[in-house]
Amino acid sequence: MPNERKSVAISLATFLTVFAVLYMCLGHATPSYGIPAFARKYQTSCTTCHNNYPELNDFGEAFKKNGFKFPKDDESFIKEPPVMLGAKAQREVFPKAVYPGEMPGTIPLGFRYSGNFTLNSKQPLAIGFLPRTDMFTPGPFALFAAGSFGQRLSFWVDDDLSSGGSGADGGLGDGYLKVNDVGHYLGLPKDALNVRFGQFELDLPFTQARSINLSDYDIYDQASFAGGLGTTSNPLIFAEPQRGIELGGYPNDGNFAWSVSLVNGNNVDPAVRNSKDIYVRVSQRFNLERDANVRKEVQAAGPTGPRDHTSLRLGAFYYYGRNAINADQSVFPTLGTAREPFYRVGGDFRFKYRQLEIYGLGMHGHDVNLQPDLVNLKFDPGTPITFTGGFGQVQYWFYPWLIGLMRYDVVNSPTDAQNGDSRRDTRNRFSPGLQVLVRANIKLGFEYQHRWQQSIPSSTQFFRANSFVGGIDFVF
Amino acid sequence: MKTLNKTVGLVTLFLVGWLFAAPVWAGEIKGTVKAPGMRSPENIAVYIDAVPDKTFPPPTQHALIDQRKMTFVPHVMVVLKGTTVDFLNSDTVGHNVYWPSISGNKKLAQNLGTWPQGQKKSFTFTELGAAPLLCNVHPEMSGYVVVAPTPYFAVTDKEGRFVIKDVPPGKYTLKTWSEEGKPVTQAVEVPATITVELTVHR
Repeated sequence: MPNERKSVAISLATFLTVFAVLYMCLGHATPSYGIPAFARKYQTSCTTCHNNYPELNDFGEAFKKNGFKFPKDDESFIKEPPVMLGAKAQREVFPKAVYPGEMPGTIPLGFRYSGNFTLNSKQPLAIGFLPRTDMFTPGPFALFAAGSFGQRLSFWVDDDLSSGGSGADGGLGDGYLKVNDVGHYLGLPKDALNVRFGQFELDLPFTQARSINLSDYDIYDQASFAGGLGTTSNPLIFAEPQRGIELGGYPNDGNFAWSVSLVNGNNVDPAVRNSKDIYVRVSQRFNLERDANVRKEVQAAGPTGPRDHTSLRLGAFYYYGRNAINADQSVFPTLGTAREPFYRVGGDFRFKYRQLEIYGLGMHGHDVNLQPDLVNLKFDPGTPITFTGGFGQVQYWFYPWLIGLMRYDVVNSPTDAQNGDSRRDTRNRFSPGLQVLVRANIKLGFEYQHRWQQSIPSSTQFFRANSFVGGIDFVF
Repeated sequence: MKTLNKTVGLVTLFLVGWLFAAPVWAGEIKGTVKAPGMRSPENIAVYIDAVPDKTFPPPTQHALIDQRKMTFVPHVMVVLKGTTVDFLNSDTVGHNVYWPSISGNKKLAQNLGTWPQGQKKSFTFTELGAAPLLCNVHPEMSGYVVVAPTPYFAVTDKEGRFVIKDVPPGKYTLKTWSEEGKPVTQAVEVPATITVELTVHR
């Protein structure tokens, strides 16, 4: 056997042995009651809200939309009572006293840690040396706290504590305070209007921050850079949180959802321009259960137990902003600030039926690309920088603990291709995967990424940066 | 003399009538179950095992197990073979009740489905053994129905104490069932009231 293939075979055999030993150890471990914040508060398993954490089932979505409280009779289910910060009768004393509130009885902290083994396809040395295997790359070690401060206030804070080492990101994820059902005071239907303020992932059709996938959705990582083709240098990506304020609501039993956000636009960094961006999203879920009574319940009544509703959700989103370059005249000292309007627009769907879930998203991005006219000291419109892309994913629960996934990502970006990111304008990727819930709070995940062709520098040949990733993920 | 004879006759009649009319003297078996190494001696079922050549008709009144605050209430219930148990859902969340086996016999697995708050579903237990009650949405929920061969049973309290009442005199075998421990048997003879001490081990 050639040496390279032998090396891969040995690495794969080593990984599988480690995996088998790990699985046997975990398979024979004493029962785990690891329970992050909400599980502790209600003394209930993760599977009450998650069908494959962090993905939410119908009950979990209702719980989240209700400000992290049970949809009905929340107080009767709480096993750890909150600390009252004022007697309820103090409400009558307000404004001559601080309005009484409450906070969680125990510190509502949870932790999450993950890390992966990686097997890379052979890459040309012209790209730079990349080992065929990496036995373990630590992922983020994240702390998250969430809960409610009484009836109408809820909060979420998560932070990646790891500040060093390979795979560490460090830094705040989401950190916000939310006022639930503000519309109550305006006579609006329940949950018609909520307000969220802070740093948060936009109301995306499919979350990136709390995705079950081991890799990002490619379209969410797509930014717009003109390179040598103009001035566009827009770092905005959907995969990172934004800072600002969001108005939103989910009336009609949560079947209709809307949100409008006003944000900085440059993701997690402090604001770098005066203009702010706006993001709008609407979606409608069509509950396809035949029984009208079942449609009104939080979960459907299946013959073997409650389950998610059979449903189809359709949505659309629009993002508009004006990127600013050369505000400090560092790029073009003789020119002023170039303001480049841009937008992102797209649609999405999600279909659920028993153990099957299919969803997808399509998006188009458009950035006005200005060209500097150093003679007349102005900017002229150039060829816009555009891209189109999306993803489609299928998930199937073979068992409650064994989930198969198949995802297809595609991004069409002529600019990126011209800048050497891919052989053709279209970059696509197939990513089959498998996830195993060893326990309700411990997961093994596997994903193979079959990627697009990239050019090898100083040659006319191409290669694919394929990889196989497998690893651990647990919360406590 | 006549009055005396009359009085004696009346008293005798009364005593004879009372002896025939009154129930047979029933005794009690009371005691304590100790459970060293286990979390608690609570919720241990104690019952009289099958009595040869004696059968007991099941009660017409149904027993009741509730699902309240994501808990089976009571956690352990003992019923006579043939008893119908009503499973009530008092919660505002969806539940279901199922058991994967009865005393390990998977052929006796049952899933009663899902029903809304305020409603109940019934099941008649016709096989001896212990059925572990589960909910497939809330896997932390746990309960047990222990199906006994006689109507003489009790469940221990937090201190492990129990009382089995109305036990006819006789020689019996006392048995235990517990979630964590192994079954224990002890021969007992019931004259009137007897006190026993049992120890259940893992």
